[in-house]
Amino acid sequence: MKSWLPFKSHALTMRYLFKGLLGYILLFNYAANAVDIQQIHQAAQSTDVTVSQAQAADIKAKQLTAALVWHGSSSWVSAVTRGAEDAFADLGIKVVAITDAQFDPAKQVADLENVTALKPDIILSLSVDGTSTQASYRKAISGGAELVLLSNPIPGFEQGKDYVGIVTDDMLGMGKAAATLVADAVNGQGQIGMIYHDASYFITNNRDQAFRQALSAYPKLNVISEKGFLKEHETSNIAAAMVLQNPKLDAIYVSWDTAAEGVIEALRSLGRRDIKVITHDLGINNLLDMAMNGNMYATVSDRPYDIGETMAKLGALSTLGHQAAPFTIVPFDTVKRNNINAIWQQAFKKPVPKLLNQALTQ
Amino acid sequence: MITLTTNINSVKKFAVKREAFIYYIFLAVLVFFAILLHDTAFLSLDNFMNIVRQTAPITIMAVGLTFALAVGHIDLSIGSVVALSALVGAMLLQTTGIPIAVAGALLTGVAVGLINGVLIERLQVSSLLITLGTMGVVTGIARQISGLESVPIINSDFTAFFGAGDIFGIPSLFIWTIGIAAIAYIAMKKLAFGRHLLAVGGSPKAALAMGIKVTRIRLYALVISSAAAALAGLLYAGRLHGARYTLGEADLLTVIAAVAIGGTSLFGGRACIIGAILGSWLMGMINNGLILSGFSTNEQMIARGVILIIAVAIGVKELKNG
Repeated sequence: MKSWLPFKSHALTMRYLFKGLLGYILLFNYAANAVDIQQIHQAAQSTDVTVSQAQAADIKAKQLTAALVWHGSSSWVSAVTRGAEDAFADLGIKVVAITDAQFDPAKQVADLENVTALKPDIILSLSVDGTSTQASYRKAISGGAELVLLSNPIPGFEQGKDYVGIVTDDMLGMGKAAATLVADAVNGQGQIGMIYHDASYFITNNRDQAFRQALSAYPKLNVISEKGFLKEHETSNIAAAMVLQNPKLDAIYVSWDTAAEGVIEALRSLGRRDIKVITHDLGINNLLDMAMNGNMYATVSDRPYDIGETMAKLGALSTLGHQAAPFTIVPFDTVKRNNINAIWQQAFKKPVPKLLNQALTQ
Repeated sequence: MITLTTNINSVKKFAVKREAFIYYIFLAVLVFFAILLHDTAFLSLDNFMNIVRQTAPITIMAVGLTFALAVGHIDLSIGSVVALSALVGAMLLQTTGIPIAVAGALLTGVAVGLINGVLIERLQVSSLLITLGTMGVVTGIARQISGLESVPIINSDFTAFFGAGDIFGIPSLFIWTIGIAAIAYIAMKKLAFGRHLLAVGGSPKAALAMGIKVTRIRLYALVISSAAAALAGLLYAGRLHGARYTLGEADLLTVIAAVAIGGTSLFGGRACIIGAILGSWLMGMINNGLILSGFSTNEQMIARGVILIIAVAIGVKELKNG
């Protein structure tokens, strides 16, 4: 049907009007990340964070305590915790509390208040929302606790004064590595879909952005569809719609592992075993798919155990007056079928699950 | 006598109208997206199968919840039952066969439903509070037994039967949806059990006076609600080739919205199985249409709310005109 407006049809007119209306309703944009991403370029390496025997003896003599105030719980967080606990045990530091905010800032505020009552000397934490938890962190460190942060900065906090430093993934390197894997999956030429995390979250935003930038260096890789998601369970519907609209897709990038599970499921349902999926992090379901030569082509994994270990060491060293770098980054690995076993053990410091091992040996 | 008959007829008419409400809404949204997305594959059979497949667990939970709502109970524990039953099924599949895994998962649901029912009847406390409590307990157990790890499933027969496979060329999730809907429809409309459910939901005292075993009927309703959630858990596990403690956690509000839009009263006495199915497909269709339309995530959230309100308004207008 012809439209009286300068668009091809009433349908197109309706769509533009609808989008315009929504654009008006949406008066705000996400705030830019509080930290200049360029700082990550000058970050220290976790492998350089070492505790000498003399320092270890001094730390042990202090009989310190520590608390781990996490944002949520997952196998990844459990590996970070294990790394921290092992490093603390080596240094004679007692872990007095481990909390899980379940991604709720209000719960994290309560957790911080409860932990503060225990007067820990070191706090390792990932802030769910720096703005709303800032006052509670301030109270926790006012008693003298050394605060080491995981990934997310806290607005208004000064490194070296309010907190020791931030330990994080090599987000830029991981995004770039994912782009290389996508190019590898399609032999340097093809149609790419991108399913990105559409929320303000330091790590995922930077990884996704680094992926975008790195992909632009490949002239024969065309990103023909980009769709965002808020919750992991949304990705199945998004992937199904993306493939329906773009049947010629060769590969899909998804922000992280559990979000990629929905994409794999949608591709299986649609019978599209030819579309490769590339993501970040390690998860047994997708690794099984990779082991069984399914849609999962490759992933980029950080090293959660090493993150926990590095945070613990930095916290302990700071009690001796050691100054840390603003950012300390932990290395990453690219994972394909042939190195799943080795990388899993590197990341989690434990053997691969039995089922995955079986699939790999078949 | 004439007045009484007239009253009964007008009540019946209202009930029929109330059930027709979802058809108007469904049609309105379908036409809206058909026009908006006429140049995409929205109206294709593949896309409708996508919607049905994606909403299958929601639909089955909605059908189950309709039974609980019919007797005047709300069941907030269904999301957590999805996760626990899927995990139980996936764990059993690692050491046993499909029948035991499926039975274990379904019995998990039945057990939670029984606990809900017995606690509500014994303590005479609101179902809202009891199921809120069991939701916490069941979620905690799911997290505990899984150690927060995914439990993968590599049994291809299971994943085909409960997930992305086809049976005689028809997607198994579609067959599950239609099969459960048919059983629920017959139970609600054709059997005495359905009439008893609605009688208990409408007026427990009157139902008791009619000789209906009110406590037992309420217990059955909660068991059905929970067992349906357990089946939804198996469908999720089949689709995703594994189970995770987070399965179903985002579904509760969608299921309640689907059932309510479908014409079932949240306070008992009125239930509509077809409405619950169309309600869940409506929610799936809105999600699907908005993704295909290319809106950003924020725009989709706003549009979802706007479309729902407009659709409900159109439905109400049509009812008044009718």
